[in-house]
Amino acid sequence: MVNSSAMAGSLLLGEAFALGLASGPACVASCGPVLIPSLLAERAGLRLNARFLVTFLGTRLLGYLVFAFMVGEVGAMTSLPQSFRELAFGVVHLLLAIVLVWYAYSGSRSCVAGCGKALVRIGGAAKREIPGAMMLGFLTGVSLCPPFVAAGVRAAELGSVAAALFFFAAFFVGSSLWFVPFLGFGCIRRNEAVLTVARMAMVLIALYYGLLGVTILAGRKVYGYWG
Amino acid sequence: MVTGAKIEHPTQAAARSTPRSILLTLPILLWSLLMFSRSFSQPAPESKIAGVITAGFMVVLFFMMVKTSDTYRWRRSFFVALGLLFPVGFIHEVMVMRGSMGIPIEEMIAGRTPFCYLPIPMLILPAALYKTVVFPGSILPGGGMSGGGMAAMAGIWLAMTIVIGKGWCSYACFFGGIEEGIASVPKRAKLRKINPRWRYVPWAVLLAMVLLSLALFEPAYCMWLCPFKAVSEYVAARNPVGLIQNGIFITLFAGLVLVLPLLTKKRTQCAFLCPFGAFQSLFNKTSVFDVKIDRERCKPCSLCQTACPTMSLTTESIAQGETLMSCMKCGACIDACPRDAAVWHIKGTEVSMKPERARLMFLYAAWAMATMFGGSIIAQGLATMLHWAL
Repeated sequence: MVNSSAMAGSLLLGEAFALGLASGPACVASCGPVLIPSLLAERAGLRLNARFLVTFLGTRLLGYLVFAFMVGEVGAMTSLPQSFRELAFGVVHLLLAIVLVWYAYSGSRSCVAGCGKALVRIGGAAKREIPGAMMLGFLTGVSLCPPFVAAGVRAAELGSVAAALFFFAAFFVGSSLWFVPFLGFGCIRRNEAVLTVARMAMVLIALYYGLLGVTILAGRKVYGYWG
Repeated sequence: MVTGAKIEHPTQAAARSTPRSILLTLPILLWSLLMFSRSFSQPAPESKIAGVITAGFMVVLFFMMVKTSDTYRWRRSFFVALGLLFPVGFIHEVMVMRGSMGIPIEEMIAGRTPFCYLPIPMLILPAALYKTVVFPGSILPGGGMSGGGMAAMAGIWLAMTIVIGKGWCSYACFFGGIEEGIASVPKRAKLRKINPRWRYVPWAVLLAMVLLSLALFEPAYCMWLCPFKAVSEYVAARNPVGLIQNGIFITLFAGLVLVLPLLTKKRTQCAFLCPFGAFQSLFNKTSVFDVKIDRERCKPCSLCQTACPTMSLTTESIAQGETLMSCMKCGACIDACPRDAAVWHIKGTEVSMKPERARLMFLYAAWAMATMFGGSIIAQGLATMLHWAL
């Protein structure tokens, strides 16, 4: 006879996986403005792009888990005071904007040094540099996207940190399947035009996120028709 | 055949007799009469007069293109008229309907936001992934200020695009004429050295706006970057963010549509910002018409490069006998070439094979559509002005 708690656990994981799978397009849409230009700003090659995707998705999972920990430990994010939420999201968006610009700049700089051998790295001194994909993945993980809210609300109902972490992990696997086709970006030939366009797009998207961050921190709605 | 000593000027080579030019203009005359027959039967005298003037205008311009074998300057007359008269008709209608150029949220919720073609590339991914149109307008007739819906605009765009590719940007776009007119004012460019990397910006804007539109579920370009909000309708600013949006629209319009064209003699908004133009460049691959450089005739003098309003010719592309994919088929390079080396061309044929025939075939298609689409906008603008005057 099947243990009822094991069965409940399996069902929960199945539910989280299905939720992730169903939410995949929304996840792709949310991460797209960060992921696609940064992926295009890397050099071509399936291996390199696979490494980028694994790094991005891995740190996105880390962001999810940090969020899940907060959900499990502090309670549902949605029940936190609004001012704290706005502060957190405003700061995350500003950080995202800074990292995007940094990444675009580092991409153009690192190409001179040794293109095609490693992921674009950002940071200060050479030894302290980390792949930009790590920072971008983490920041997209902790910034709220609609499917993430759905998973967060469900995880908050579970009542324990461990259950919330497992739920988010399964949700992550389900939604990550939608990112597999992005491996194909490795086959796109990179020339000066593609790299420049990708970097310029990152700066434009950074400007948007920067404005979004500032307006959130200033307490204004960015979708600006209501007072 | 071109000998090294004497080169025929294109106008000398291909200028037509008046009777033959009239004969070749007949199809456009009949088409114009058909297109403006509705205006002729309108009860308001200003609509009748505007219809007659516009039909005559389109026919005369086509006749001159056929007679003189020049394309650019006659097309430019139409295009500048379109660019200047579109805001006249549109703003008048907006003011009559709402009393303001600002579109209020209530209109958007009701799905009555007028639709233009610029957001088309931003609607494709959300429609494919979510079966949702991320624009607060109506698909079918009945929505939008003019009563036309998105489907009508998208249909017109698709039909024209398949045939003339990026020629849309020279024969149909009702925004580009303003900067083309302004770019034609100075005799010489004051700002001549432009970093060619700026040509990548429209592609970056396209990529960023397509992705942001998908993520935000809104036409991001219309919300944040469209310079032509300044002369059509803008966000009814009810908070600081609305003011920022309008500030961006006005700044971009002033910089890219007014000041930079004056300094560079280029269509700077089209060349260095417009994401729709970048998207449209892709359709130059599907259109059967293009512009080629006959390498045997070409003695690189850079006149075509200087004349091109969108920097779609480079030394490398000329050496390869081609324009860049951003070519708008405006005809400036062809008219500027003293050796007939820049030519109209139909894909799949020899470059030097009857370029004048290729030109005429292109012009029939482009002008028929320009008359139908741009002509009706010109007529509306004219009718508005006559309404004020009479």
